[in-house]
Amino acid sequence: MVEVRSVSKYFGALQAVDQASLGVRAGEVLCLVGDNGAGKSTLIKVITGFHRPDEGEILVGGQSYSSLTTLQARQLGIEAVYQDLALCDTLSASANVMLGQEPVRLKIGPVKFIDERQSAKRAGELIGRVGAAVPDLQAKVARLSGGQRQAVAIARALVQAHRLVILDEPTAALGVAQTHASLALIRNVAQQGVGVVMISHSLEDVFRVADRIVVLRLGAVVLDTPASATNRREIVSAITGMDETVGAI
Amino acid sequence: MSPAGKGAQRRLRFLPRVGARNLGLLIALAVWLVFLRFTAPFYFNFDNYRVIGLQIAFIGIGALGTSLLMIGGNIDLSIGSMMAVCATAAALAARDIGVIPAVLAGIAVGGAIGLLNGLMVWRFKISPLIITLGMLAVLRGIAILMTSGYAVTGVPDQFKILGGSRVFGLQSPVWFLFLGFVVVGAYLHRTTTGRHIYAMGSSRDAAQRVGINIRRMTIGLFLVNGLIIGLVGLLAASRLGTANPTFGVGFELEVITAVILGGVAFSGGEGSLGGVLIALVLIGNIRNGIIAVGLDSAWAQVANGALLVVAVAIDQVSQEQREKYRRLLAMRERTAQEVAGTDHASHAKQD
Repeated sequence: MVEVRSVSKYFGALQAVDQASLGVRAGEVLCLVGDNGAGKSTLIKVITGFHRPDEGEILVGGQSYSSLTTLQARQLGIEAVYQDLALCDTLSASANVMLGQEPVRLKIGPVKFIDERQSAKRAGELIGRVGAAVPDLQAKVARLSGGQRQAVAIARALVQAHRLVILDEPTAALGVAQTHASLALIRNVAQQGVGVVMISHSLEDVFRVADRIVVLRLGAVVLDTPASATNRREIVSAITGMDETVGAI
Repeated sequence: MSPAGKGAQRRLRFLPRVGARNLGLLIALAVWLVFLRFTAPFYFNFDNYRVIGLQIAFIGIGALGTSLLMIGGNIDLSIGSMMAVCATAAALAARDIGVIPAVLAGIAVGGAIGLLNGLMVWRFKISPLIITLGMLAVLRGIAILMTSGYAVTGVPDQFKILGGSRVFGLQSPVWFLFLGFVVVGAYLHRTTTGRHIYAMGSSRDAAQRVGINIRRMTIGLFLVNGLIIGLVGLLAASRLGTANPTFGVGFELEVITAVILGGVAFSGGEGSLGGVLIALVLIGNIRNGIIAVGLDSAWAQVANGALLVVAVAIDQVSQEQREKYRRLLAMRERTAQEVAGTDHASHAKQD
């Protein structure tokens, strides 16, 4: 369980996040929606430790923190996958997944020899867990397609993220078919018992994958609801702040 | 997948290691040697091999440092002058203080300059090309100032042992080359730090996000490169029993040619020491062969420069090809998925 309580964040006079609270349970997909500048990214960056909140607290596994560092967040099992994926194109899929967490076969002082077999095995398991098909784990990531690259990036996040994976616009750069595959993959991740927060602009995607939907407007949470208890119209009016009869798009 | 299939895949994994690139170099080498066999038959004798070996050794040891730097996404152009400063420092120390201090001086001076370069590259986020190009001139000037422009002579005989002796018929610099390739190769290709050097050269951002310490690694690689160049300078001074501030003019060009020809990407993150070793042997044979054939030795310089251009061109073209291949793959995947698209999605939802 990862939770933020009454978190506020100011950039000078601008209040980017205003008393926002939300919680993600293990195995749950929470979709965070809102207009541009609604504070989605800022809120996410408070959780991943890039931003220090000015007010409020962050609760991870029952422990309260007034702020997290990026290192702390990672150690607590919180990982983010950004839209650019940040993969090493010239390294293999398996090397990318295990990057920074390579299994060690032999250690002589500070020199650690990589256990390549174990590394490939672990990477294969993780990519399998997200339910993606990457034909050759030893192929350079540069040779993979967009969907496969995303699977590699999510698998890499899963190496560390036993609590929460945050996905920033995971489907924005994908085609229709790849989006379907990607959403299935996100459900798979949640089924592993990991919490998922997905930022998305596509309400279609949101309704396809979300357990819960949280709407941010001008930095404040204006709606927090189970996905099954709401509809597109309600979400749209919450995002825009206009009455649903007026704002029907 | 069946166990047999897995075995086949594992074997196939090593194919890209030998690689089309290295295969091309080996073919070029073979063609050149066959050509020499007919035009300069006296070329093939052990004494000539030793000459080539010695030439390769100095460039090759230098190439170790440049490979590390370039795979990590950096470069140090000042190595030619750095080598002169280290050689001069070692020779002066040998003449005025003693042999052991001379050995230490050569390597320590290299390390200090490397560290300085690393700190500057890190602190001023300007291209390392420009910073180290400046250092190339600065250090050459310092080398000349150190001796007022004259060669350092009168070093004790013991100082000449390190670079001048032969072990099992091979000159010591050649042994240093072998040892260096084994040690650096193991480090680069087998250890976590080696993997992280590749990652840093490939995508600084990705490396940083998984918690790799980019700062320590960048500065560390420049330091290691400096230590290696210190060794080159020391070996050169020791072998010749003298040091001259004009040592190593154009050295950086020879080293970078070998490294890029060997398949290390100028943009970083790619390449292997095996390829660099093959490229070194090719370069050594071309330079020597040109003289053996009876051409003016200036042609060796032409060949060296041309090789650099060719190597960079191959690098660029192969990168463009890969980009093309990727677009093709993405397109093929998209059409394949669009055909089976809805089917696939409903299937995924079921489980």
